[in-house]
Amino acid sequence: MSFTIAESVDEALAALATGARPIAGGTDLVVGTRQGKAHLPPSLVAIDRLDELDHIESGEHGIRIGATVTHSRLMIEPTIVSGYTALADAAALVGSPSTRNIGTLGGNIMNASPAMDTGAPLMVLGAVVQLRSTGGSRAVELSDLWTGPGQTSATADELCVAIDIPSRPARSGSAYVRLEYRRAMEIAVVGAAASVTMADDGTILDGAVALTAVAPTIIEVAGASTSMTGLLPDAAATAIANAASDVARPISDLRGSESYRRHTVGVMAARAVDAAARRAAGEEIGVPVNRAIGVGAS
Amino acid sequence: MTQPITQPITLNVNGMDYSVDVDMGRNLLGVLRTEIGLTGTKEGCDDSECGACMVLLDGQPVNSCSYLAMQAQGRSVTTIEGVMSADGLDALQRSFLEEGGVQCGFCTPGMIMSARALLDGNPSPTEEQIRIGLSGNLCRCTGYAKILAAVVRTASGD
Amino acid sequence: MPLLTESKLFIRPDGPDKVTGSGRYVADITLTGMLTAKFLYAGISHARITRLDVSAARQVPGVFAVLTQDDVPERRFGSVPDRTLFAKDVVRFEGEVVAAVAAIDADAARKALDAVVVEYEPLPVVTDLEAAIADGSPLVHEDWADYGPTRVERDGNVASFTSMTRGDVEKGLAEADHVITSRYVTDASHAAPIEPRGVLAQWEGDRVTIWSSTQVPFQARDGVCETLDLPTNRVRIIVPHMGGGFGGKCGFHYEAHVAALARAARRPVRLLFSRWEEFIAPDRRREGMIIEITTGLKNDGTLTARRARVLLDNGAYSADASFFPHMAAMHTLGPYKIDNIGVEVSSVYTNHQPSGSVRAPTAPQACWALESHTDELASAVGIDPVVFRQQNCVDTGETGVAGQVYDEIGLQECIREAVAGIDYGQDLEDDEAIGVAVGWWPSFPGPSGAYVKIDSDGKGVITTGAQECGTGSVMTLPILAAAELGMEPEDFELVYQDTSAAPYDEGATGSQTILNNGRAIVEAAQQIAVELKNLAAEKLEASPDDIVLADGGAHVAGSPKSAVPIARLARTAAGGEMLLGKGSGTPPEYPSAVDVSCVGDRGMSGWAGPQFSCHAVKIRLDRETGVVRILEVSTAHDSGVIINPIGASGQVEGGVMMGIGQALTEGTVYSEDGAQENPAFLDYKLQTIADAPPISIHFAEVYTPGMGPHGSKPIAEAPNVATAAAISNAITKLIGRPVPHLPMTAPRVWETMQRRGEA
Repeated sequence: MSFTIAESVDEALAALATGARPIAGGTDLVVGTRQGKAHLPPSLVAIDRLDELDHIESGEHGIRIGATVTHSRLMIEPTIVSGYTALADAAALVGSPSTRNIGTLGGNIMNASPAMDTGAPLMVLGAVVQLRSTGGSRAVELSDLWTGPGQTSATADELCVAIDIPSRPARSGSAYVRLEYRRAMEIAVVGAAASVTMADDGTILDGAVALTAVAPTIIEVAGASTSMTGLLPDAAATAIANAASDVARPISDLRGSESYRRHTVGVMAARAVDAAARRAAGEEIGVPVNRAIGVGAS
Repeated sequence: MTQPITQPITLNVNGMDYSVDVDMGRNLLGVLRTEIGLTGTKEGCDDSECGACMVLLDGQPVNSCSYLAMQAQGRSVTTIEGVMSADGLDALQRSFLEEGGVQCGFCTPGMIMSARALLDGNPSPTEEQIRIGLSGNLCRCTGYAKILAAVVRTASGD
Repeated sequence: MPLLTESKLFIRPDGPDKVTGSGRYVADITLTGMLTAKFLYAGISHARITRLDVSAARQVPGVFAVLTQDDVPERRFGSVPDRTLFAKDVVRFEGEVVAAVAAIDADAARKALDAVVVEYEPLPVVTDLEAAIADGSPLVHEDWADYGPTRVERDGNVASFTSMTRGDVEKGLAEADHVITSRYVTDASHAAPIEPRGVLAQWEGDRVTIWSSTQVPFQARDGVCETLDLPTNRVRIIVPHMGGGFGGKCGFHYEAHVAALARAARRPVRLLFSRWEEFIAPDRRREGMIIEITTGLKNDGTLTARRARVLLDNGAYSADASFFPHMAAMHTLGPYKIDNIGVEVSSVYTNHQPSGSVRAPTAPQACWALESHTDELASAVGIDPVVFRQQNCVDTGETGVAGQVYDEIGLQECIREAVAGIDYGQDLEDDEAIGVAVGWWPSFPGPSGAYVKIDSDGKGVITTGAQECGTGSVMTLPILAAAELGMEPEDFELVYQDTSAAPYDEGATGSQTILNNGRAIVEAAQQIAVELKNLAAEKLEASPDDIVLADGGAHVAGSPKSAVPIARLARTAAGGEMLLGKGSGTPPEYPSAVDVSCVGDRGMSGWAGPQFSCHAVKIRLDRETGVVRILEVSTAHDSGVIINPIGASGQVEGGVMMGIGQALTEGTVYSEDGAQENPAFLDYKLQTIADAPPISIHFAEVYTPGMGPHGSKPIAEAPNVATAAAISNAITKLIGRPVPHLPMTAPRVWETMQRRGEA
């Protein structure tokens, strides 16, 4: 058993190559070992002090978010809040303030929970994950990364080092909304993210919608853009509600039945489209949308 | 008898360095309560769901039940025992007492740690910011009304 | 006489310990050589043990003791004596203790648990209340008739039964213009104190000291004595600070297991529960119910008759639940005027975790059902639900359901003030509504004792059997003593929560501490007051009858300047006849129920010091998802005169918040094989501070003679009765019919709306 605090990304990668697992905040990893649910990996390499991974760079091609940027930072970072708002909405809803303080974007992505909050926003924003190993680097689309609950296509020696999100077109907006039974400390029963770009006439030019906790992974609503194009936001929201309910493949469990999830994911998708369109039109809606406009009777 | 493989680490807790040998799987909460002997930090759920174990890590609230002791090396840990100043109770502690924000007291240390961090980062929070800032700390006794009042009162400097 | 002037700030004496982290709870106490205890649980809801072999477990390095039922006396305990310390032959719920281990550390204890060989022959699992009482149902306790004598009415899977009848129900229903029948179902829920329980036991010679996070130290002691065959003078229970109970830490739990382990191991042994254990193991769970109510009423709203059948999920063992049927009967009838009643309540054995007293046992669920039903009644005759209650609820001098005629009570004031406090009738948004409900709860007079002494410097010590679980007894008891002696509450130190130091008290249960121990302390302090007056009379050359104790001194009435400081009198007394007082105030009597006939009577028909409440709740509904948010709560309580306002309002706020949780998000989900599916805070959702609404509070301070000190009645449980009911009535206003299942989760609200769509 060993615990190493990496002093460089290369050191971390070398450790991964010899079988160590990475730990950043540890919020999923440590809780996951409770009640014998899983064992802590015998060898851990801490990556939470690597400056190289804890930064946000924005440029004309978009934004690069280091893997260990925390949710607390994402939810207030001006470039995220103004340009990639759905991600800020999601980060602000993750767990509790303490979980947001140490939980990282890279950790959330690589934990690959179908109920993760940041997944759907990243998907509609067209994010690409940068994986690196001692053998080199590669960029992976999110739809190729998540292969099942808790499963990714990354190999054990690959480290998520950053998330790239392309720059946003003019007159675009995004939002993430989640069904909450309480106003805090929630895990997604269902959730939805939407990104839209508006045409000059107030109709939707194009967009994307992705869904949380209604399938083994975060899923995108295929054809969402086509079904929204040319519609006013209200009509688009209605169309997307139906499309989301149709593509959802939820399970029934103690958090909600299959039929309830199928219905409410449509509601969340419609609200996400509505909020995204309003933001695209220049309306200031605070982060997170849930609390700003009263999703779930907030 | 188990012989876990331990590693020596140094933890800075409330401004003092402690050298302890810990097993990699030990959480910070257990090491604070056992090896370091500070029992003010409580275990309520061991699952990051109740907040009784809240400590400050470099000034930010963290559930010490779900944080490995080894992760805390080189960072500054503040527990409830570190909140009181040399000349007595912290303003928050006084407000909790005077407003009646304490009943059974088991959530109180964690609640005060979250509130302390909130006020350190934002001395004049709105009521909604206080609610969100303390939302990771469950209290079963008070219905939160007097806790909220205590934090509002501290923030307004009364 | 004001007990505590409003300008005076009295900090709870245990508060500084709690805000600084210096206060010790059981988990904070370690003894040299202390071992770790762990339990092996059944993990199966109903099975015969065909093999149990702990020999390998005893050989695990670091293990000092492994115990099963074979290692302790064969004693059955409980309100129905149906339980043994460890499973005997059969396990009846998943959290039943099969074996216990004491080892050098948790890892060694876990290895020993793994090394216990236990084999089961599964038995049919009983989970459905109606199936359980049907002919031919498998029995949870095949041998129940052999468990020894009991006063409880029982048969088959019916663990206890009560019926109440008065008047002629058939005639009353025949006279009605409307007969409304409702059926409601409630899930089980949990007390969920934030501190998981802990027990630490240490033997010295033939005496054991047990530190336990119990609400009822004397009951815990008696349980140890009963199950381990020990006299009371060899068992001492000490409760350090206690991290909340809400009933969950009432009763006798694991003190005997840990004491037995410590004796076998010859070492101190400590048991600390995980949150999972706190959910699945203790015999304290708020029972699920099925409630069917039929009420007849006239067009003018007069109630003509009520018939009800209630089934309670008793769980696998009876704990203290045998009085629940009688209690549930009263709550299904409510604080109303009805002359013709017929109620039958059965507490039914199942293979679920046992039920036991959780804050106002049976009341929130039965009140939720009754008050939802009451709004249906009001709606049927087109009367506003508040007016309907004002018309039908009992008032001073009127006769209640069990024939009891009430002395001065404040229920009508509660209704008036609760609705006034929320601006009932205001214009609301389309997705908002205000629901109103009334509740009631009895007081429980009982024996209790205390000593008070004043030492040579004039400072006092109260030694009391009372238990503090957070509710503020540590404030109110010194306030009461100080008021008798003209001293300040801060002048007293409390020695409490130690069964060998103090006289008996029932503990933090049934909201009884101030009612009973308060009277004892007043009596003890009054004895000292007599001594002080005698001493002062001698010094001031006056009659003791003319001496007044006030402001820390004794003076002749009318001449406050003549005052002698109590400290000086105490110094004199310390040289001879000391200032010692003892009290065990005679408990008030229970009023009798007049003309009600009752099978399985547990003395719950005539209520001593009944407390009344009315809660009004404003909600907002997200119609597309069924999510309900609580915007505002207005409460009014008749708990008699309020002695400690900050403590009383803290009870109301906490009780309301617990009620909101129970209304919306707190319900135990069981699998078909009887296992809990959400034994963790992630999916058993307590309300957070982000959810907490503003709560306004009115106390109808009706002076209640012959009950608690200074005209007081209890307060701790009453605020947990009516909140869920009020929320239900608000939801019904928005969706047109009650959600028939508690908690009224968002999916259940939405499903109820869908059914309306179909109809």
